[in-house]
Amino acid sequence: MRVPPGVSQSDFSAALAEFETVVGKQWVFTSDEDLDLYRDAYSPFLNEPEERIASAAVAPSATEEVQRIVRIANRYRVPLYAISTGKNLGYGGSAPAYSGCVVLDLKRMNRIIEVNEANAFALLEPGVSYFDLYRYIQERKLKVWIDCPDPGWGSVVGNAIDRGGGYTAANYRNHFDSHCGMEVVLPSGELLRTGMGAIPKADTWQQYKSGCGPWIDGIFSQSNYGVVTKMGFWLMPQPEAYMRCTVSLPRYRDLGPMVETLNYLENSRITAGFPDIASPLIGYPPIAQIQLWNESGPPHMTDEHRKLLTAVDLGYSRELEAYGLKSQIPYWQLWLSFHGPMEVIEAQWQATQRHFAKIEGAKFSIVDRVSVPLDPAKIEQFHEPEFGIPSLRAFSIGARTPWNPTPSKGHMWFSPIIPRSGAAIIEANRVFSQAARDLGMPLFRSFTLPACFWERSFIFILATPVTEDPETNKRYREGFKKLIEIGGQHGWGEYRTAPVFQKSVMDVYSFNNHALQRFHETLKDAIDPNGVLSPGRYDIWPRHLRGKPS
Amino acid sequence: MNRLPRGLGLSFFVVVAAAMILLGRGSWAEDPQTFAAGRAVYTKWCAPCHDPGVTHPGTNALTVKYKGVKSGVLLEWKDLSVNTVKVIVRHGISVMPQFRKTEISDQELDALAAYLARNTPSN
Repeated sequence: MRVPPGVSQSDFSAALAEFETVVGKQWVFTSDEDLDLYRDAYSPFLNEPEERIASAAVAPSATEEVQRIVRIANRYRVPLYAISTGKNLGYGGSAPAYSGCVVLDLKRMNRIIEVNEANAFALLEPGVSYFDLYRYIQERKLKVWIDCPDPGWGSVVGNAIDRGGGYTAANYRNHFDSHCGMEVVLPSGELLRTGMGAIPKADTWQQYKSGCGPWIDGIFSQSNYGVVTKMGFWLMPQPEAYMRCTVSLPRYRDLGPMVETLNYLENSRITAGFPDIASPLIGYPPIAQIQLWNESGPPHMTDEHRKLLTAVDLGYSRELEAYGLKSQIPYWQLWLSFHGPMEVIEAQWQATQRHFAKIEGAKFSIVDRVSVPLDPAKIEQFHEPEFGIPSLRAFSIGARTPWNPTPSKGHMWFSPIIPRSGAAIIEANRVFSQAARDLGMPLFRSFTLPACFWERSFIFILATPVTEDPETNKRYREGFKKLIEIGGQHGWGEYRTAPVFQKSVMDVYSFNNHALQRFHETLKDAIDPNGVLSPGRYDIWPRHLRGKPS
Repeated sequence: MNRLPRGLGLSFFVVVAAAMILLGRGSWAEDPQTFAAGRAVYTKWCAPCHDPGVTHPGTNALTVKYKGVKSGVLLEWKDLSVNTVKVIVRHGISVMPQFRKTEISDQELDALAAYLARNTPSN
């Protein structure tokens, strides 16, 4: 039997026996075979001593069971680690941040408590996946959209409290921002509701976010201060129509004005759909179309074009630009999408063109103009999440394809936040491409473009492969940590990361001698004095484990 | 146990089995009740990656891996054993992760494996 560090075998056995009285014997897992199912399938420490592993797992089906489990854990000082659906692949999966934790597996808490069409919101338990919620809405023919990330089997609640993002309109893409109201089991076992949910008879829990007084929802995201057992979300009313357009720009110097114009238009809500920056000339796809490239192959490129790309500096050479102008291949291409009544989105597109037309040589094209809902037979032509439709097509990234004959074992996402400007894109390329070369990491070809999930900032996402070879994984892990450190030196920090990198990332958030981290620890000591809940998550450790290796 | 009507006996089974082989199907492959539970598990957990077509990354990967020797569509395989399905689901392979018992229970996995192995003669 595996036993958590610092817990006696007899105490652990007693705790497990009590867990069984709460959830039933079949939902407490202790065998090696069962616990292997909780390993992080994409762990960069795969099969190495440092891999984070669980000592047991317990799977409640209701909030009251979570409360009882947390109280038992306090009595025996058994560390728990809460997961929702455990499909946070690339960011830690279902494994604990601290080896020896009992994984509190909330997958069985999968009730969709309410989907309200009249005011477009939902109230969910953490085991509900995007697929589950989508099916529920479709079966009832409700006219609301969800906003989902690429992998549709993730938890709606879990993704939001990990601060993930999606692909529809700006005010729904940030999944934590689009939540409204939480129910939380505190480390003491006490139950808390936030916002209007704190009023016993309120029917506005999912209609007004902050209630009155301090708004504390944020402390339950990327943290270990409570177990979120219910969470509300604002949904997008099903739009009448969808239009996807491109703005193509011919010169390298157009990158800055393109981003500035996008910022103005998006911050003014003239365009609100997922903006996607590509470079046909450099051969860099729009993020939402990577799966299409994996499925059908990248666009054809002439030998001359390919040769020119081997001699660019930060994505530029005079010869490449001249080739693009001669061949009418845009240096930059911005994909924009619009949702709403056709007459409204056509007017938005008109205004968008007027603003971009200030950049010399800008060209415009409407790629798709469709009414919603989409014809089911045509859905696969599109990137489904841009229509709020969950899928697993993104797993073509890293999988075996005709263009990738050697699949990886997984990947870890390096994803720092950088400013929303053309200059920042070029600077991030300069800094990280040099670092990747020095570190021997295969992250760059000619140039990388950022993702535009959030308003006001970019995510400069780079996928680092996980392999079967421990030596290669070690090199990539160490390189990943170095990239985090280098990013921090330039003022760039990750928006989210896997447990094995959470210390490195949080070290970057160091203003005033790590005042933020010290505040996190003060909260931890006050809320969870026994340190039983998810120790080490986002590098927040209980007092008795601080400074010790995880 | 119910007995077959006199005169159908062995020859009936031979004819049915021969018809199934000619149709390229394993034993009882089309009995909707026998495999309903397994099909439901497949639809929920496997279909998004393994249904036919290049938009399904599992199918795409298997198509490339087997280079035309056999189909990339799991549902068409005739050499998939119950045990292989169970091992892959519980251990994962390549970018496919393993599945926990809170996702696919042992009972559901039995049903899934029986469904996916329905075309394999030894099963």
